[in-house]
Amino acid sequence: MVLAVRKSVEWGITAAKLFVRRECRILSTLPEKQEYAEKQIERAPSGRKSITKKSILESRHIYPEFLPDPNPNWRNSLREKLEREDMLKRRGQVEIPEFYVGSVLAVTISDPHAQSKTNKFVGICIERKGCGLRADFTLRNVVDHQGVEVRYDLYDPTIQKIQVLRLEKRLDDKLLYLRDSLPEYSTFPFDMDQEILPEGSEVPVNPIQVVLKPKPWVERWERQELKGIANIEEYLTEKNKIKRELRKTPWEKYDLMKQYRKTIPIEDQKEIWTEVYTQLHQLQSAQKKMSRKRVFTSPKSLLA
Amino acid sequence: MATNIQILCRNIFKLRIDHVVHSSSFTPRYRPPYWYSKKERQGSSNEHLTRDNIDFIEEVVQDKNTNQTNLKSPLVNISPQSIQPWTPRTRRVGLIARKIGNYPVWDKNGKKLQTTLLQVVDNHVIKYIPPEEYKPMISKNHWKEKPTHGCLLVGSETIDPTTVTKDYCGLFDRVGMLPKKYLYRFVISPESALPTGTPLFATHFRVGDYLDVRAKTMDRGFQGVIKRWGFKGMPASHGVTKTHRRPGNIGGGGEKARVWPGTKMPGHMGNRWRILRGVKILRINTKHNVIWTLGVAIPGETGAMCYLYDTILPLRKLQTTPPFPTQPPTDDLPLEFYDESIHRFENPTLSFEEM
Repeated sequence: MVLAVRKSVEWGITAAKLFVRRECRILSTLPEKQEYAEKQIERAPSGRKSITKKSILESRHIYPEFLPDPNPNWRNSLREKLEREDMLKRRGQVEIPEFYVGSVLAVTISDPHAQSKTNKFVGICIERKGCGLRADFTLRNVVDHQGVEVRYDLYDPTIQKIQVLRLEKRLDDKLLYLRDSLPEYSTFPFDMDQEILPEGSEVPVNPIQVVLKPKPWVERWERQELKGIANIEEYLTEKNKIKRELRKTPWEKYDLMKQYRKTIPIEDQKEIWTEVYTQLHQLQSAQKKMSRKRVFTSPKSLLA
Repeated sequence: MATNIQILCRNIFKLRIDHVVHSSSFTPRYRPPYWYSKKERQGSSNEHLTRDNIDFIEEVVQDKNTNQTNLKSPLVNISPQSIQPWTPRTRRVGLIARKIGNYPVWDKNGKKLQTTLLQVVDNHVIKYIPPEEYKPMISKNHWKEKPTHGCLLVGSETIDPTTVTKDYCGLFDRVGMLPKKYLYRFVISPESALPTGTPLFATHFRVGDYLDVRAKTMDRGFQGVIKRWGFKGMPASHGVTKTHRRPGNIGGGGEKARVWPGTKMPGHMGNRWRILRGVKILRINTKHNVIWTLGVAIPGETGAMCYLYDTILPLRKLQTTPPFPTQPPTDDLPLEFYDESIHRFENPTLSFEEM
């Protein structure tokens, strides 16, 4: 009993140390926006090994669906392995590029009911979720003054092509508030040109803030601490503001166990990435070769 | 008088203990934790063993393990002529599998199908009991097994023999096998009997066949009437007080002034054996012995064990001869079998231009 207590205390201390060293950041799948500057400084003096290690762990932003659901009741190493093999097989057949919530995509699928048997949709990615073969993303556009959203499965074999027209991130992890914002923020022409970033550059974060329409809204946006909304305060009543204050959970960022339960441990992540990294890297380099052949077009200004 | 006593004695001797069944149906219920410290089983602690003894035991266990893994399937020695042919009335042996999760596959029309993955883990035939010796406990009102059927014991997942009781270990030791974590009996026809030590693989079933899956449902504990039976409950407002999730009336007045048997009421939900019939096999992996089945309705949580049989549904029964009595171990099997309707992930993107 005493031993057990001692062990648990020791474990707790080591865990606390880890988190104090900000290594918990490595585990989270959330994008790190404020830490770019720090990282650049760190990268320069660090050795070769640490770079490769980091770049392996970096893939969790580019390929988030390769990490399984952290719920321990649903995990099984063999199932996850088979799932990853199937995902790589599918990735060998179709180019699934790097994209984020906020990027503008053009997706072509084969559709038996369409006249030309194919269907193309252009829109902004407002949500990306799911693990493994269940991964999906949602595109939103406004067509003929009518908002349209289409959800695609990332590994659906009917997807012929996924093209990233504008690669960028936004201030928030989900852009579901575009449903309640003015239509010009989610309107994209179907004949939009692809904007190509210079090679080696980081994915830009678009700091644009959208203008919301008055209530009624789909969700209570004021409670979600969103950075991408410009004018939310003007629609809030006194009661809304009081409720927002009551609903805040500022202690949650200190809840280490909650963070731990939401993420895959670093040891598991390393195992997964070392398993798939070489194949993913090969696929990526092959895709780069293909993309070089395409015609270069000059990038347009943001939100022209 | 004496004759009467003789008859009585004779009848009493005829009574057999293994035929008597107490007619108590098993009702799962919440068993509170036992707060007193558990008694240590004698011999479970290794304190009285010296280092040499422990090493010796480990060595013996390892030797036995290697012997069993190197064991060749006894099916190789049996000539195919001696095996009786399969008929639609034959009952084959089943498999013990573990449910390892769900994920989608797509069919050739581009439709998404949810599948459940079942891994067949280290299955070996332990023992065959012929129909003459197989006498299961049967209660009167229970459906009686035909005496024409024998019983095949199948074990799954070899475990360390030092961790189980002597009785359980002896069960396997008598037939020269190592103890298994899971042991299950399959009622079979005598012609589909298999020799001890035969390994069973996922290829015992074929792609496109249908299965019956027996497993324990998820334990949900003591549940109310809304979750357990799908009652509607009562409104949240409009003057309703204290009866939002209650069942309401449970019986009438007059002559039937009592609660009728079988009335749907709150109680323990789940943790019961259930059989899901007619589950289609969509894909089989021969390397890891994994079966993909259509749908997500197989009882139990991820990691639970389940038992697979050929289905008894009349329209989905086996039509052609399956691997009989089972698939012999061969090296030239393809890695994966797919149903005709399923799209392979390594195949090119689906297009509907020819349609």
